[in-house]
Amino acid sequence: MYEIRFHGRGGQGAVMAAQTIAEAAILEGKQAQAFPFFGAERRGAPVMAFARIDDKKICDKTQVYEPDMLVVMDESLLDIEPVAAGLKKGGCAVVNSKTAPSDLDLGIKVRCISVDATSIAIELLRAPIVNTSILGAMVRANDFVSLESVQRAIMNRFGEKLGEKAGRVNSDAAKAAYDRAREGTCRGERKIVKKNAWLPTWQETPPGVAIGKTEKAGMAVGPGSMSQNLTGTWGGANPVYDEQKCIKCQRCWFICPEGCVHRKDDDHVEFDLRYCKGCGLCAKVCAKEAITMRKKGASE
Amino acid sequence: MEKKMNIRTMPQEDHLLNGHGACAGCGVAVAVKNVMRILGENTTVYVPASCLLVSGGGMYPHSAFDVPFFYSAFENTGAVISGIKAGYRRQGKDVTVVGIAGDGGTFDIGLQALAGAAERNEDVIYICVDNEAYMNTGTQRSGSTPFGAWTTTTPVGKRVQGKRQFKKDLMSVVSSQDIAYAATLSIAHMNDFVQKVEKAKSKKGFRFLHIMTPCTSGWKSDPSMTYDLARMAVETGMWSLYEIEDGETRVTYRPNEMVPITEYLKLQGRFKHMSKEDIETLQGWICQKWNKRYCPAVPPLEKKEEELALNGDHCEGV
Ligand SMILES: Cc1ncc(C[n+]2csc(CCOP(=O)(O)OP(=O)(O)O)c2C)c(N)n1
Ligand code: SF4
Ligand SMILES: [Mg+2]
Repeated sequence: MYEIRFHGRGGQGAVMAAQTIAEAAILEGKQAQAFPFFGAERRGAPVMAFARIDDKKICDKTQVYEPDMLVVMDESLLDIEPVAAGLKKGGCAVVNSKTAPSDLDLGIKVRCISVDATSIAIELLRAPIVNTSILGAMVRANDFVSLESVQRAIMNRFGEKLGEKAGRVNSDAAKAAYDRAREGTCRGERKIVKKNAWLPTWQETPPGVAIGKTEKAGMAVGPGSMSQNLTGTWGGANPVYDEQKCIKCQRCWFICPEGCVHRKDDDHVEFDLRYCKGCGLCAKVCAKEAITMRKKGASE
Repeated sequence: MEKKMNIRTMPQEDHLLNGHGACAGCGVAVAVKNVMRILGENTTVYVPASCLLVSGGGMYPHSAFDVPFFYSAFENTGAVISGIKAGYRRQGKDVTVVGIAGDGGTFDIGLQALAGAAERNEDVIYICVDNEAYMNTGTQRSGSTPFGAWTTTTPVGKRVQGKRQFKKDLMSVVSSQDIAYAATLSIAHMNDFVQKVEKAKSKKGFRFLHIMTPCTSGWKSDPSMTYDLARMAVETGMWSLYEIEDGETRVTYRPNEMVPITEYLKLQGRFKHMSKEDIETLQGWICQKWNKRYCPAVPPLEKKEEELALNGDHCEGV
């Protein structure tokens, strides 16, 4: 059985990628399944999807804990998620990155394919939707299905939904990624720290008694404990504030869905970027253009 | 006269803390964050199944609310908040009890419990955060979804494109009962928003707040457009701002002139398939609503052109 785990961000199309690769396998007469991780994650949040491919019937219905192939659709996830946890020793990794495989540090030394899927997607699809290009890089990493089947599966899935032309450019994106992917071995220096979720036992929560604010197994629980969730990694842009232009109207403070805007004593504001998802609403409501949105990584 | 609260003088302390899991630019998060600032820490929150439950109420044992938080079944909001309030009354505590439900949880599945609580005039606040579909489960149509909108259960096909029914007028359903206070709110009209929440907090009896909250995922709009969408909804007449107190309806904001509905539709992917005829149908429906809301003295007219003339000048193309 060949098991694949996708790591992406909500809205990037990780689930669609998993479904397409499964469909490609089915087109070749194999057995396959694909499904997302069921959680509370929304657009921009780190998400996972899974696929399994086999010649015989697949009875396993669990998540993929020890993948043969790891697909990382957003490179920034490497720093915030233990993406390579459980990856098999002889497995391989496919990473959407401009960097050469030998300069990528996944925390485990395996065969690695890197491809600049974002540029390919922008070039061919005119949008940074990388799920189809990444599929091309996946078959380059391991020919468990052929590129032709993947392209046919893309035509089926995308062509049906978005029209034949869209199907064709998406299939071209897969081919381009197949051609441009770079092969190598990644580094294994970073430490992979698995997240340990704590759940109370029935003895710890007697009937009718809710959990108060405490800390368990190194993590906050109870009311307000979601603050440990630093959502600032979700977004692609941050606000830049010009205090000179600000008239202290507080509209940005009101509109920020994340509560990133803090009011100082003199009613000027400051931004807590640890939680900023980059929606850009603060810049929108500012009548004086004191706030502009800057893409992350862009220079001053 | 006492000065009304505004966004500069409203309480600043957060009770829906950061770190919640809503999408970037989520209108529900904007609304609930500010509601919680005004209601303050002496509040108990109930949220039924909805985006807000998952993103704000959180996954047990986590929560983004730093006040007591409850969750029970989807259809029970009206009943559960009544029960929580009764419990506090028994304990001799004066706590603001608020239920915050989605449009699915209010227009459809929770309507019965809501109507019961309103009829008993329970001393609670019921808030509907209306994103016009069942968003938590991936955008299914609700009684609140507007005419023509795409959802997964009103798909765009060759013969039928999007929802065929108009949005349910929930406010008139709720306010047909003699409740203490009912109001519609928009996150784009900030001071009006703050004053209505403050008024609801200060009253006794059943209070109903209906907040229109744009949703980037389900409306297929850019996260930065949430504010513009909320504003355009009011300017085009898709949404109107008023409050009902002691049986009297008072319009709290009247747009200068009606903006054609296309200006609102074009900002969202869920309407992009709409045919000219469908847009005209929707515009006609809005014109009727507009007249009823803003010029109630004028009897309904037969001819659309005349109808428009009455509103002033606008909405060519109808
Ligand atoms: C009785 C019941 N039916 C269905 C569900 C599944 N469910 C969970 S959230 C949800 C949608 C909620 O929609 P809405 O009330 O509009 O809130 P939104 O997510 O849009 O904010 C549904 C259908 C459920 N939890 N309970
Ligand atoms: S799906 Fe819509 S309502 Fe739900 S969190 Fe996202 S933007 Fe908010
Ligand atoms: Mg809803």
